[in-house]
Amino acid sequence: MRRGRLIAIHAVLLLTAVMTLLPFVFVVNNALRDNSEYYRSFFGRPEAATGLGRVVWRYATADQRALVIRDEGGEARLVGRAEAAGHYWARLTAGSRRAWVVLRPYVLNSFVVSGLTALGVAVLGSGAAYILARYRFLGRNFIFGFILATMVFPGVLTLVPSFLLVKQLGLLNTYWAMILPYVAGGQVFAIFVFRSFFAGLPEELFESARLDGAGHWALYWHIVLPLSKPVFSVVLIMNILGTWNNFLWPFIVNTDDRHQVLASGLYTMARSAVAGSAGTMFAAYTLSSLPLLVLFVYATKPFIRGLTSGAVKL
Amino acid sequence: MKPPAAGRTRLSFAASCHLLLLPSVLLLLLFIYLPVMWAFLKSLYEFEVGSKARFVGLANYLEYLVIDPPTWPSVLNMALLTLVGVGVRLTFPLIVAKLIHSLPFERTRYLYRLAFLIPIVVPGVAIQLLWSRMIYADYGLINEVLRTCGLGAWTHSWLNDPRTALTALMFFGFPFAGGFEVLIYYAGLSAIPESVNEAAALEGCTGVGKFLRIDVPLVLSQLKLIFVLTVIGGLQGFEGIFVLTQGGPGFRTMVPGLWMYYNAFAFQRMGYACAIGVLLFVVILGLTLLNLRYFRSAEEMQGGTS
Repeated sequence: MRRGRLIAIHAVLLLTAVMTLLPFVFVVNNALRDNSEYYRSFFGRPEAATGLGRVVWRYATADQRALVIRDEGGEARLVGRAEAAGHYWARLTAGSRRAWVVLRPYVLNSFVVSGLTALGVAVLGSGAAYILARYRFLGRNFIFGFILATMVFPGVLTLVPSFLLVKQLGLLNTYWAMILPYVAGGQVFAIFVFRSFFAGLPEELFESARLDGAGHWALYWHIVLPLSKPVFSVVLIMNILGTWNNFLWPFIVNTDDRHQVLASGLYTMARSAVAGSAGTMFAAYTLSSLPLLVLFVYATKPFIRGLTSGAVKL
Repeated sequence: MKPPAAGRTRLSFAASCHLLLLPSVLLLLLFIYLPVMWAFLKSLYEFEVGSKARFVGLANYLEYLVIDPPTWPSVLNMALLTLVGVGVRLTFPLIVAKLIHSLPFERTRYLYRLAFLIPIVVPGVAIQLLWSRMIYADYGLINEVLRTCGLGAWTHSWLNDPRTALTALMFFGFPFAGGFEVLIYYAGLSAIPESVNEAAALEGCTGVGKFLRIDVPLVLSQLKLIFVLTVIGGLQGFEGIFVLTQGGPGFRTMVPGLWMYYNAFAFQRMGYACAIGVLLFVVILGLTLLNLRYFRSAEEMQGGTS
């Protein structure tokens, strides 16, 4: 490829990537600044980070001179390096600490809801798909059709009646109001993907295992599961992404704050008094992205491999 | 497949299969099929939560389709937003994917793919709040940039101004390249056999011409997947609008799904909300059936050319 052309492609891609990611850079940057800095200017380095950098530089160059810091009242004081470091660190993390106090229960609730949902979907989905894919029995096609047919019904059709149902069952303001509908809906896609994968496994594997005396359970546990890791990673990541980001349903079925999850909690937080502090909100956005970021650091490779290896047919 | 045994064992084998499938089936009956039935049934009633329901026949449907003022503006908004959504999601991520795919080194290709995937770790509601509080806000990114450039007169209260609110929603997510789409298109482009690319190069078919005549037809199934997902999402999704504009100013950015939500959870008109849900379902179902038909013919066409 010609050199000029390569440079042009990189220029376009870099520009697009910067425009895509710049808002997030702003968020992380402003999470480290306080209100007065934010309202003075939208852009700019966090003062606390600059200060911390100066202290670190003094340590690095063994410079023992005192530093000037400003209190919240704006009064200047002369302090030693250690105290200055503590001061700047406190300022740098002030927003995050305030945000974390609000977010912590939401994050825990999200872990419970998304975790139990993923567990339920993995167990029910793969189990049902195994039976439907590898055994022939009376009513098999009917049951599979019964399960798949639910894909026709969009969420907008069932949103209001589902709320009425959950309310009638007395499940409002419980984890079950989220977990049970999530598992019910989430298992369908899981069964669909698992079944087509399980059905494609070669029959010889199963036959030889049966000759060795393996029962149904052993076939599932020792043959099917070890071969299905990429499919599991795709199904579970898609499921966790969906439940983790779902904002509307938790917002509707939680009339109080106890079981609010991260997405709906963020929205509530943005409309509360805490939102008056811009830094706190930006810190909240940053903190709320960390759990999935961690998940992705560990799961990107198997996820992309699972999606592109042909194991998963969408 | 396990060979079915005869007589009683066969029946008891089927019974144990059914027993194992029972939890899945029960969950679906309770949390999907029952709400679906209720949606149709309760759309014929007028009631608040907890109060007695009054049978009104098809009055809810009539009221929505004929009398209620927000109906048709909101349908138009939905159509415009969906149309623009389809337009951008079929072009921007595809072009980005193609540009990444045309790079010579796997390492840079991987880095770019990763960069465009990163935004999916940020909760959707955080991104929406971000756009309303940071990008479109009065003292937000766009207005600050305009002021810095000396174009202070061009600043707007983007989401609150009736003239700009809908357009602002359309540009939400610009440049539309962060997320799964790039990856999906990239997978499609990677699946094009090398022989096709070589033949194209031999015929002197390169650059934009090759992209339009070879690549686009060969990623048609990916394009269709995104198309279907975007259309269905456009018809039933309203979370973003709920966070960004609440449907306002006035009904300027109202969509049917959001109007359903307000009727159920703000005005306590559960039956009426169910009727709107049913109507949206009918539209989505109709489009799905149309698409299935189109899907097959497109697949045959593809089979014919390759």
